[in-house]
Amino acid sequence: MRELELYFGPQHMGMVGNFSITLKVEGDRILQAISNPGYLHRGFEKLMEYRTWIQNFPIVCRMNVVEPDSMEMIYAMGVEKLAGLEVPERAHYLRSVYLELARVGSHLFGLWAYSNMLGFDTVAQWAMYHRDLVLDLFEELTGGRVYHIYIWPGGVRRDFPKGFKDKIVSALHSIGGCVPDYNNTFFENRLFYDRAKGIGKISQKEAMELGAAGQVLRATGMKYDIRKIQPYAAYDKVDWEVPIREEGDAYSRILVIRDEMIESVHMIFKLLDVMPEGPVYHRIPNPFKWTIPRGDAYVRIESSRGELGLYLVSDGGDKPYRAHFRTPSYPHGLIILERLLKGASVADVGNIMISLYVVAPEIDR
Amino acid sequence: MKKGNIFSPFKAIRHLFRKPKTLKYPFEPKEPARRYRGFHLNDWDACTGCGNCADICPNGAIIMVEIPEIKPEPGKKNQRPKLDYGRCCFCGLCVDICPPGALSLTGDYFHIHFDTKTFSFIPGDEKSDPEHFVDPQNYSLLKASLSHRKKNFPGFSPDIEYALFEPERVPMPQVEPEERSLSFIEQVLGYSEKEARAEAARCLECKLCEEACPAHLKISDYIKAIYLGEPEESLRKIYEDNPIPAICGRICMKHCEAACSLSVRGEALSIRWLKRFVADTVRDYQKALQQKPAPSTGKKLAIIGAGPGGLSMAYFSALKGHHVTVFDSLPGGGGMLRVGPPLYRLPIEAIDKDVNYIKSLGVEFRFNATVGKNISFGDILKQYDAVYLGIGMTMSRSTKVRNSEKCILALNFLERNKIREKVNVGKKVVVIGGGNVAMDVARESIRLQHIQHPGEEVVTSAVSLEDWDIMPANKEEIEEAKEEGIRFNPAWGPKDVLLDDKGNIRGLLCMKVKRVFDDAGRFSPTFYEDQEMILEADTIIEAIGQASDFSFIPKEMFDQLKFTPRRKIQVDEYGMTSLPGVFAGGDIVNTNLDAVTAIADAKIATEGVDHYLSAIPIS
Amino acid sequence: MNKEFKQELESIFRDITVNITDDVTPVIAAAKPQILAILRFLKDKGYGHLAMISCVDWLKEAQFELVYLVSAYLKGDNEEPGQEKITILLKTRIDRDNAELPTAIPVFENAEPYEREIHELFGIHFTGHPRLLPLFLEREYKIPPFRKDFDSREYVKEVFDKIPFVEDKE
Repeated sequence: MRELELYFGPQHMGMVGNFSITLKVEGDRILQAISNPGYLHRGFEKLMEYRTWIQNFPIVCRMNVVEPDSMEMIYAMGVEKLAGLEVPERAHYLRSVYLELARVGSHLFGLWAYSNMLGFDTVAQWAMYHRDLVLDLFEELTGGRVYHIYIWPGGVRRDFPKGFKDKIVSALHSIGGCVPDYNNTFFENRLFYDRAKGIGKISQKEAMELGAAGQVLRATGMKYDIRKIQPYAAYDKVDWEVPIREEGDAYSRILVIRDEMIESVHMIFKLLDVMPEGPVYHRIPNPFKWTIPRGDAYVRIESSRGELGLYLVSDGGDKPYRAHFRTPSYPHGLIILERLLKGASVADVGNIMISLYVVAPEIDR
Repeated sequence: MKKGNIFSPFKAIRHLFRKPKTLKYPFEPKEPARRYRGFHLNDWDACTGCGNCADICPNGAIIMVEIPEIKPEPGKKNQRPKLDYGRCCFCGLCVDICPPGALSLTGDYFHIHFDTKTFSFIPGDEKSDPEHFVDPQNYSLLKASLSHRKKNFPGFSPDIEYALFEPERVPMPQVEPEERSLSFIEQVLGYSEKEARAEAARCLECKLCEEACPAHLKISDYIKAIYLGEPEESLRKIYEDNPIPAICGRICMKHCEAACSLSVRGEALSIRWLKRFVADTVRDYQKALQQKPAPSTGKKLAIIGAGPGGLSMAYFSALKGHHVTVFDSLPGGGGMLRVGPPLYRLPIEAIDKDVNYIKSLGVEFRFNATVGKNISFGDILKQYDAVYLGIGMTMSRSTKVRNSEKCILALNFLERNKIREKVNVGKKVVVIGGGNVAMDVARESIRLQHIQHPGEEVVTSAVSLEDWDIMPANKEEIEEAKEEGIRFNPAWGPKDVLLDDKGNIRGLLCMKVKRVFDDAGRFSPTFYEDQEMILEADTIIEAIGQASDFSFIPKEMFDQLKFTPRRKIQVDEYGMTSLPGVFAGGDIVNTNLDAVTAIADAKIATEGVDHYLSAIPIS
Repeated sequence: MNKEFKQELESIFRDITVNITDDVTPVIAAAKPQILAILRFLKDKGYGHLAMISCVDWLKEAQFELVYLVSAYLKGDNEEPGQEKITILLKTRIDRDNAELPTAIPVFENAEPYEREIHELFGIHFTGHPRLLPLFLEREYKIPPFRKDFDSREYVKEVFDKIPFVEDKE
């Protein structure tokens, strides 16, 4: 049979986000896949070098549309570590609740992308509706629906408004109440099972070798979660479990995502119960005079897609000298995807890519 | 994991019979949240035009635009922010940095217009822009545009708790009232280096203060130098415009702090105390400043009065290379400041530090030389190419009520206490006046009472025509006087000084004041004749104002001297009086009556003198 | 990271400095030729996760600093308890003029895109890298754009200011 070169994305029905893959195919078998990022390369890390420490805070979140919140968190943590800033106790809890809400919202978006791509339109509509409930919460808390610009160095930007706890509880009950329906129509639907089972399988050893983290690794049976390994915010203040699967295929990855979402909902309830009162922000130095001593810091957190790291360097000035983000989609989308696509069928390209939970803006930055 | 059932999805079919979750847009619009970050709203009355919003904007979306209709005033520029919504990312940093809290974001997020240029506009509010704001019931999404915004539609608003600036001052260490009222030790202890840097770090560099300062000191520059831990650099910046920092760092009337943008919702930056910190920290001015006067011009300038104006004139003119001689009747420099401000506010050493530096630049000081007595004004005019009058106001006014000659005049009282033997006061002292001098007098009096009558019950009361709301003394002076135990009797006017059989003072008869100013705002007090009160007293001090002493000027010359309607000497834009070669500044020229304005006058006159001298031949 | 590990490292590799400022991010500074050997050593010691490779352009010192961030995955029987909390910063400095380095792919396969990115954005050549092709960028640049002497604002002026505004066009 003849060998063909096939361009998959960025404008393709099966592609989510601005990303493309160049495929060499023979029939519908993929001989070679080449990831082709860069459609969303805005050079944020370079732009940050031109802006003061506080001016960067509205910018970092824009690196990832789906879950901007973990970007805010890691930037705040990096600056706090470099500058030696303290964060009030209550702010840690608010940050955790906020990040878990973001995880729920992000996973719902992932669920939408996956189900939509496979043609489960009903599930996709539900997921979008439920994500909207989360966005409503964000709007209530921060004033923005997509870019919340909420966690900043020194704490968070505003405390919960009145009655916000009840709103969280009611929105999460609404989402949690729909889990059986999601199971029936999607996760335990035979059609989906057959479509995802055994697809894009990766062993734990190979995943480790290729620098995987997040669901990709947890779906191979390793309880690798930065929230547990190196707890930040208030993640060590409540009990929770790291959901894992053993199989390492697309199906187990999406189930890990589902279980994580449910675990996050439970975690938010627990956090809301034990949250202390008090201030939520320690004032940062005057933004026009704020310099940070020369030094570098590496911080990492568990974003909704895996290990998110930030290597931040200061030369003693009022702007970062260098900021470099280690985003989880980077190894997943650039190496693992290429590996897993090799030998797969053309019909499974989107299936595999979305099951790896690749978000393009995060790769390009 | 079970493989799932092919029929299980059909369980979801019941959702078909449920009410849809979607909104029927646009008939059923979505209400934004209370904190929604929509378009900007700017309260023009509160906005100071400081431009901090433009400075913090990460995207350069804000520029400051001059509004000709607004009249700039101290603490307010006539600029307002203009937003480019093509750049704005709605982060709200501008809201959190806004010192007066004028800027906020609204729930408005629709902008429909055929002209793309309208997407960049100067936000106002209902008051400043009434035609564009409509009532909520008339508002509709379909018509929403720049000329169509909803009234009362708040969104993300400023909150001082989360503001990006520090609203509170670093507290200044002071001697406690109980302790300080017992002696003349300096009340304010001064910042430590750490405290000064922390205070200097609050400055937002908007420079509203620099416009408000009569002498236009480069305040944000010298504050920044303090923040960076470079007091010597800071001193150099101060000396560009003000050669008496140790004095001004203590007694300046701080027009700058009144204009500070931080003062709107918090406490103003302690600009005066920071200047004092620099003046006190740098020990060797000559080493720090490294100033060399210009080559000698051979021209001679005489300055009459070594007050703040005279000292500044001497400093600036000496740097220009003129030969400067300063005459003063007092034994040292500082003029009124040497004798007026009590020791607990302005010690002599601080004055001498500034004077000695000016002396080191080659300025000749002739102290204990009273013009008109030791040397005639005519001789000075003959011997010098130009003369600068910085004589200030050296005579206390009297109330001229009956027996008032038995009272002590404020300036005599202050001068004796400061540089000669202390005045003996009684146990019951009454001070007449409500200005800053009256506060100084009263607070000195209570100290003397504690020293001269230890352990006994002593009273110092103040009587002023003005009620609390219009009392001319500084608020903090009044507060501190209260702390030290001064008893105030506002809105009472003196009628008679009462004497006993031996002719000694026994009290002050007062009348209740009806009003102090007439309808035109002129000083014209009226009284309720039937409401009287007697304040028991054995000492009465009059502190109701000062006047200038022009007796040294020969009559024929004085007649040529032109005055303004407010009885100030009239000067041209170079500070020259109607007498050629005679320049003037300070209290005899301006109505601010403070040191920093005298410096400002001297800066103008320096240029004038320089210009004038360059035109005449070397004598 | 404990003292014994530091001593072991310093006994095996000459001329390296191990700086333990806090418990979780020890810094190893080493010369260019040793980097691969140290990476291999760390991997064998259980630090099997190359989180990323970063690059800092120290223009004043005329050097690039390559930073390899290496951490540990979870294992059933951790040799060193708490190892997974640690991220080691392995740093090496190379001259800006002769920006060349052997690729780390033989030790860590996932070094590939990181090195590709650094090659593209900083202009550092990784010898032995199988595909040093552009990753993100579309245009050609005279100076690799993430170097400190590349002025983004200047570049924007040069390139985009030439494009007329929409309303200025006919």
